Amino acid sequence: MAINKKEYLQEVLETHKMSHVNSLLDKYRDKRKSIKEALEEHYTDKIYSPLNSGSYAKHTAINTKFDLDVVVPFKKKSFSTLEEMFDDVFDFLNETYGTEATVRKQKVSIGIIFYSDNDGDEISIDIVPGRELNEDQYNEDNKLNLYVHSQYGLLAGKTHLLTNIKAQIEHIKSRDNERKIIRLLKIWKSSNNEDYKSFLMELITIKAFDKDSISGDLCEMLESTMEYIRDNITKDGFTLSDPGNSGNNVADTLESWQKENLSSKMKNMLDRIEDNSDNLKIYFPINPDFKENEDTKSSEGYGVKTGASTFSIPTQNQRFG
Amino acid sequence: MDVEVQIPKGLLNKIVDAGIKMYPKEYGGFLIGFYSEDFKTLHITETILPSEYRNSKYSFERSAKGIKGELKRLYSLNPKQHYVGEWHTHPDNSTQFSITDLNAMIEIAECKTVGINNPTLMILSINKSRLNDFEFYVYNDKKLLRYE
Repeated sequence: MAINKKEYLQEVLETHKMSHVNSLLDKYRDKRKSIKEALEEHYTDKIYSPLNSGSYAKHTAINTKFDLDVVVPFKKKSFSTLEEMFDDVFDFLNETYGTEATVRKQKVSIGIIFYSDNDGDEISIDIVPGRELNEDQYNEDNKLNLYVHSQYGLLAGKTHLLTNIKAQIEHIKSRDNERKIIRLLKIWKSSNNEDYKSFLMELITIKAFDKDSISGDLCEMLESTMEYIRDNITKDGFTLSDPGNSGNNVADTLESWQKENLSSKMKNMLDRIEDNSDNLKIYFPINPDFKENEDTKSSEGYGVKTGASTFSIPTQNQRFG
Repeated sequence: MDVEVQIPKGLLNKIVDAGIKMYPKEYGGFLIGFYSEDFKTLHITETILPSEYRNSKYSFERSAKGIKGELKRLYSLNPKQHYVGEWHTHPDNSTQFSITDLNAMIEIAECKTVGINNPTLMILSINKSRLNDFEFYVYNDKKLLRYE
């Protein structure tokens, strides 16, 4: 019997929710907090408050593959060059965490991978140092220059990259449907060992929704987005503008042959799913670790107290912190 | 829980503006809205600001004094709008809830005059001029769960 595609994809998303790994996530948050505090203590007035970024901040994370990212905004006069800033942060993190973690330079970030703990959990936090573009303007324009570590090759010949992390987060924050499709495409990427950048999938999904007025149920939205990618990624002049820097065309990070490949993968998937809806299971698998039995499957929504109506009068006085 | 929350941009901006006016102190208010027929989606439609409150950079205490009439009026609308939770700001700080926040939500959920089991908490990280970030949490069984 053919599967109900909409219900199946909802279950795929449900089994990949971050809330299933809350205790692991607590360990990540604790490490992130201690790293942020160490950076603030060490760099004091050279930096603005470190900022959480990445897929968890954007609500596009999946529980099979994630890390936490922290952006550290340095003031313009803190270092004379971006390379100096990048090396100084690496040296500090290596001195501080080198005995309990592998600390390594990555393309625009410094990765800290803590050795496995007693539960076998390996915590990975990426630190992205950035220097404000305009002196004393970070709080106003949020613009940062990132250093591009040359060992990993230059990004279109650049040694630095202008970005605006807050603009990137805001770009996706209130787009519920787009986030579901992005998470599904990340599940496809992760479970089929595809190498496409998540940021690219994110931007192309948002563009598909903006240009093609995508609507319908979850499966219809996914298929429409895949059709958009199939039909547009190889077009001459197709751009994916970074919301943090309109001059940065993220589509350029793919070579022509990679674009052709992505287009044909989308075509192949769409054709095979049309042939047989069961093929969805190959491309978008359920996370078996969090699959619920039919008998115990939760369809829990918001609850109203027994015998009560939703009309409520809140507590008289309440303190928050 | 398999739930969603939706807030119109205009209302979000109104809440942000109210929070920024009180910077560098915390500030907050009541969230008003309604649930979809299947109780899976919360539509937040309005905020009521407290007439009495005390606040500092790290705490916010509000009173519910004087809001009963407005709650009654909102409940007479179609669809019925009702109290669904709380919001407050964290000036120059993260959107992570504190133990004080969790305890407040436990008290709210257990209050006899509150008819819902899963009140929502919205925390906004702000600076002196703008919103840094915001996060929704849904209360369930003495825990605050981040919406995904």
